[in-house]
Amino acid sequence: MILTILAAASLTNVFPAIDRRERYSFGGSNALAAQIRQGAPADVFASANTALPQQLYRARLVEKPVVFTHNALTLIVPKSNPAHIRSVADLRRKGVKLVVAAPGVPVGDYTRTVLRRLHRTGVLRNVVSEENDVRDVLAKVALGEADAGFVYRTDARTVRGKVRTLSLPRRAQPRVAYAVAVVRGGHAAAARRWMQRLLGKAAQAKLRAAGFLPRR
Amino acid sequence: MATLALDFALPLRGFELTLALDVERTVALVGPSGAGKSSALRVVAGLARPRRGSVRFDGEDWTPLPPERRRVGLVFQDYALFPHLDVLANVAYGGRERARELLERLRIAHLARAKPGELSGGERQRVALARALARDPAVLLLDEPLAALDAHTKSEVRHELSELLGELRLPTLLVTHDYEDAAALADQVGVLVDGRLRQLAPPAELVARPRDGFVASFTGANLLHGHASPTIGLTQVTLEGGACVYSTDAADGAVGVVVYPWEVSLAREQSADSALNVVHGEVGSVVEVGNRVRVRVGPLTAEVTAASAERLGLARGGRVYATFKATGTRLVPL
Amino acid sequence: MIRRLLVFGATATALAFLVLPVVAIFARVPPGRLFAQLGNGAVVDAIRVSAETSAAAQALVLVLGTPAAVVLARRFPGRGLLVGLVELPLVLPPAVAGIGLFAAFGRFGLLHTSIPFTRLAVVLAVAFVSGPLYVRAAIAAFEGVDPNVVAASRTLGAGPTRTFFRVVLPLARPGLAAGAALALARGLGEFGATIMFAGSLRGVTETLPLAVYSEFNVDFDTALAISALLVALSAALLLALKWRPSLSTSRFRFAASS
Repeated sequence: MILTILAAASLTNVFPAIDRRERYSFGGSNALAAQIRQGAPADVFASANTALPQQLYRARLVEKPVVFTHNALTLIVPKSNPAHIRSVADLRRKGVKLVVAAPGVPVGDYTRTVLRRLHRTGVLRNVVSEENDVRDVLAKVALGEADAGFVYRTDARTVRGKVRTLSLPRRAQPRVAYAVAVVRGGHAAAARRWMQRLLGKAAQAKLRAAGFLPRR
Repeated sequence: MATLALDFALPLRGFELTLALDVERTVALVGPSGAGKSSALRVVAGLARPRRGSVRFDGEDWTPLPPERRRVGLVFQDYALFPHLDVLANVAYGGRERARELLERLRIAHLARAKPGELSGGERQRVALARALARDPAVLLLDEPLAALDAHTKSEVRHELSELLGELRLPTLLVTHDYEDAAALADQVGVLVDGRLRQLAPPAELVARPRDGFVASFTGANLLHGHASPTIGLTQVTLEGGACVYSTDAADGAVGVVVYPWEVSLAREQSADSALNVVHGEVGSVVEVGNRVRVRVGPLTAEVTAASAERLGLARGGRVYATFKATGTRLVPL
Repeated sequence: MIRRLLVFGATATALAFLVLPVVAIFARVPPGRLFAQLGNGAVVDAIRVSAETSAAAQALVLVLGTPAAVVLARRFPGRGLLVGLVELPLVLPPAVAGIGLFAAFGRFGLLHTSIPFTRLAVVLAVAFVSGPLYVRAAIAAFEGVDPNVVAASRTLGAGPTRTFFRVVLPLARPGLAAGAALALARGLGEFGATIMFAGSLRGVTETLPLAVYSEFNVDFDTALAISALLVALSAALLLALKWRPSLSTSRFRFAASS
């Protein structure tokens, strides 16, 4: 039995490392939720927030969601750092090309929370593109075409040689919780077993090794 | 009248067109298709660049000039009218001042607002002529002016065109594959084969003294191949089939015997008149051409009046005697 | 009989397959809602961005593509290769087009420009994919002009420039217009190269197709409404192409061939 798993783009590297067998579709969690609402055949939904699985749960499209890991946000700049960004404050400078995820995409919402907490929402004036998932933000900064972008810590680690990471003050970090749920109408029993495995020791160790934070 | 002087060579597919020719009145170039006739016009118009040589008009060297700076009126074989412009605009394209006058003169004023697509072949030809003349050309070039017309329209247009050329008094170079059209329109006819001018002469001269077998057959003559040997006063020619004919021309060796169809008489029975040459054979075809009838007898084509044809009761398959005088033949090199 | 039934069945299935999704868009959006959505700020912004970038790209394509087509319609050695190069973007996956544009115009590309993520980037992406359609049609249009008619213009005293504007251009116009309409329609729908090379930012680089995509993740009904708008626009362009009042040239061709 091969399961179809719709998972947040930030899980692109780690999920196949945990279980190579299943069929994955990675993307912005909100795009995946939209697909489930349109009846996409899927067995498991793993979202980069808890709100989207909750909405689907209330709409009786998925079973009760469970938090399975956490993450943190970070600011990345290209290795060459063409705009000489040293902190979030530098993003205000005129001409800086900032790339963020669109509102509604979990990482896009987290980014706006961070900026609100730092009282730096003005830097959004320098946004040149709103991407549909975190990997699109990552790609444009790694390519060097954008000056800076907000991604998860775990994403930054996948392109280590190409970007520099500027960590954010602790007080600015939002709570980034990943929730997983069994999609109704799929192979429910097998999907539930897979969920249990994700919460198990081995899988959690793989997640931590990739930079994700413990379930708590 | 000024002279158009041509002396050039133009490489074409498979051969080279070389032409040295002075056009004072109307010269027709005739020849089989692919002989380079249209290319000659394109060189004069500046649409093709000769490899060497020159095109001169009235002493002025036109060779380096682009088409728009040569004063030529070129009438294309397919007329090449501007399909998006009406008749008046087509004619006015080359020159506004004379457009109306030319429409009147060529009797197409009533078509001024029509598009070329709505015209008959004859009407299109007049528009093309009017358009070329509106440019006020110093030289007129006509490419197969009668080829695109049906037989009925053709004789009428040929007559009108001949009159028009007479009035215009422009050096005119026209090309045609039809010797009769050339003879009707031009005062000099050049026979062009494989890019070379075989003979240039007035039409009557071409018929009276064809330089070779090709020129003779192109002007409509019967051409019989044979071997000549002189006898007393006459030349005896043994034809390929074995029959003998006699000619008053002197020759020795391989020759072509040239006989024009109107020199050949037909009879039911062999008569004892002065004609020395007789071919007895089956009638191959009978074709009416206007008031004349062309009859094919063995290797010969004869031309007789419709009345004679009826009197003789000519029909395919019947046997007749075709006779022609020794004085009615020409011997030409092959 | 059976064969005819099979052919009929296949035809009906093919038609239904192609038509159904388009019809379904309208079936799910009542006209009232469609018009209501046109007042949605994001939709209005996307319409504006699409209109402005399409107009600019179209101008670029016409101004540069027409002379290119004139040259490519002539016979010369290496012409086939050049035409092939011009047509290549037609068969490239849009993602490859996006990467190519970065490689050429990116900050670290061959030309070191700061074009990515700007309005100009959208224009370039659109022109890159729509241009070849126009140039291809334009080459065919210029090749279709009777060389004797062009020669006639020259012998009538018109130089190359006057000949081009008074004879060649009017005769090629139906073909050029068709190519321009096709290019415009293709450009309006451009998605892949744009989202990569220009990114997506409301009011700046978010065109209608990009808005469909991002609205799909947020509000399916809005995505449907924008899709309906795009269908209507494309259909209008296509109809304008098909039911163009027949021009004198088409009548001429008919008469000449009869």
